Amino acid sequence: MTRIRYSVIAAILMLSLLIVVASLVFGTESLSMLQAWREWRAQTPLYEAPTLSILLTQRIPRTLAALLTGAGLALAGCSFQALLRNPLATPYTLGVASSGALGAWLAFILMDAGWIGGYFLGAPSVQCFAFLFAGADTLLVYLLASRKTRTSPSVLLLAGVTMGMLANSGIMLTRYLAAPERLMMMDRWLMGGVDVLGYKPVITLLAGVAPCAVLLLAQAAKFDQFGFSAEVAAGRGVHVGRLQVLTFLTGSLMTAVIVSEVGPIGFVGLIIPHSVRVITGPRHTLLMPLSVVVGGAFLCACDIAARKLLPGETPIGIITTLIGGPFFLFLLMRRKFTDWEM
Amino acid sequence: MSHTLEANAISYAYEAGSDVLRAVNLSVHGGKITGLVGPNGSGKSTLLRLLCGLLRPQQGSVMLDGRPLAAFSGKERARMIAFLPQSVNPAFSLSVFEVVCLGRYPYTGVLGALRGQDLEVARRCLRDTGTEELHSRDFMSLSGGERQRVLLASILAQEPRLLLLDEPTSALDIHHEAEVFELLRRLAHQGYGIAVVTHDLNLAAQYCGALILLSQDHTVLASGSPGQVLTEDKLSAAYGAVIRVGTHPFAGTPLVAAQPMGGAQ
Repeated sequence: MTRIRYSVIAAILMLSLLIVVASLVFGTESLSMLQAWREWRAQTPLYEAPTLSILLTQRIPRTLAALLTGAGLALAGCSFQALLRNPLATPYTLGVASSGALGAWLAFILMDAGWIGGYFLGAPSVQCFAFLFAGADTLLVYLLASRKTRTSPSVLLLAGVTMGMLANSGIMLTRYLAAPERLMMMDRWLMGGVDVLGYKPVITLLAGVAPCAVLLLAQAAKFDQFGFSAEVAAGRGVHVGRLQVLTFLTGSLMTAVIVSEVGPIGFVGLIIPHSVRVITGPRHTLLMPLSVVVGGAFLCACDIAARKLLPGETPIGIITTLIGGPFFLFLLMRRKFTDWEM
Repeated sequence: MSHTLEANAISYAYEAGSDVLRAVNLSVHGGKITGLVGPNGSGKSTLLRLLCGLLRPQQGSVMLDGRPLAAFSGKERARMIAFLPQSVNPAFSLSVFEVVCLGRYPYTGVLGALRGQDLEVARRCLRDTGTEELHSRDFMSLSGGERQRVLLASILAQEPRLLLLDEPTSALDIHHEAEVFELLRRLAHQGYGIAVVTHDLNLAAQYCGALILLSQDHTVLASGSPGQVLTEDKLSAAYGAVIRVGTHPFAGTPLVAAQPMGGAQ
């Protein structure tokens, strides 16, 4: 680890902070932080303080939602890549997002058919179904893959990809069955968005992401061992089976919560860990915390673009891929991709 | 203090009904190299995994200094016993020094942070295996012989008392093979107890103080000094082929060769 790397990391942290501030300022209307401060100091009631009101009820929750979403997805991706020793592995690769989307779409259909109301099991039906389906996918993939004596990464990946395909064809079926006027709403959900209002979604996200993130970050040293060689890791006292179950369940559940709140925002879990690895090297004790920061900042930046790029709101799912895709291709072309020996 | 790892009548089957090992007894002592030899599929690698606690025997017990191995925690065990599997496939590239530092895992806390003392041990292990000059090289760019020595350094960084090695020289040429065994002999002189699975009976004869010969029926066919174990009738029975034994031209140890079926007498 050289001094240059540390200054790059310091620069990244500064940039992330700037992005967060920018996310509070820029939007359909740019807010003056000074104005908000004056309104706060004057203790103006919120309905007479437009700037402070937008800041508190829209910008801050939205920024927090973007941060939590990006951080969670990046961390889950990073953990899955380590666990499955495969550069393509993310909860998305294992069909978690597609299954969540299928759940959401089914909820739309069932609500139209009058079978369920707007709320199901005490939560908004769409979010609730998305979570249940994403969670079910997680358990099913895991049970399928662990039927053999040892959980095999390739079986896990193949089972996950297949579950994703099944969910996608389920989505096509629900699309086919849905009323045309519903399609727009359903498609919009599929493109994802962190444009939350108020703090309820933020609290749900926080409750889902924070404990899972802490648990996953605490495995960093084990992932280092595991990435080097699974059997050597076992010889050094890493409980490999326990690590697999813990990582798989926490990573997937965290993703299920995120997908159910903000929709299937793709690509973050794949590209952020790979991009950060270019700077930190493969040691997870550094890679994972920095992925959390960069993932949050990246999604925040994408959300700013989503607000400013086109008149009205551009779905953030499109932006992440439009910005992230070319950048990732550039990384792939520039580096001999020797970080992964496969 | 010299440490001892003992297997008492251990049996193991991956699937019920097809034993991979049957009632095997053996002990690994500090200061001594014990060679595990025998034909393919006789259960040598499984035996090694049972000895280091990666697998648990269905019958019998493995004891470390008189205490059941299963009673040790993972990290506790790793501070006593180090295991080097036959093929080590890192998923991503690390420098040689990083690889050796990974060996300090059993001494780290939840966050896995390394202290100055850990780095000092890692540097000493590089010196002990003659790999200091490789310090900053990418592990994957090393030759087979260099890799094995670095891997040995990384398990020595566990500061274990016993080393269990699965075919550490299988991918090496004749010169580097001998070099690794010379290193093992030096380590044994320093007090390490070493168990090594190998197919090279001639090197085993030269370097091992004791040999365990497993046969195709998954039992121990013979154990003892190389001179006692490497005899024509025992080897022929174990391998199910005609094996001839002569004398090594300068080491004076048994020299083993398989005689092809229908070949010259």
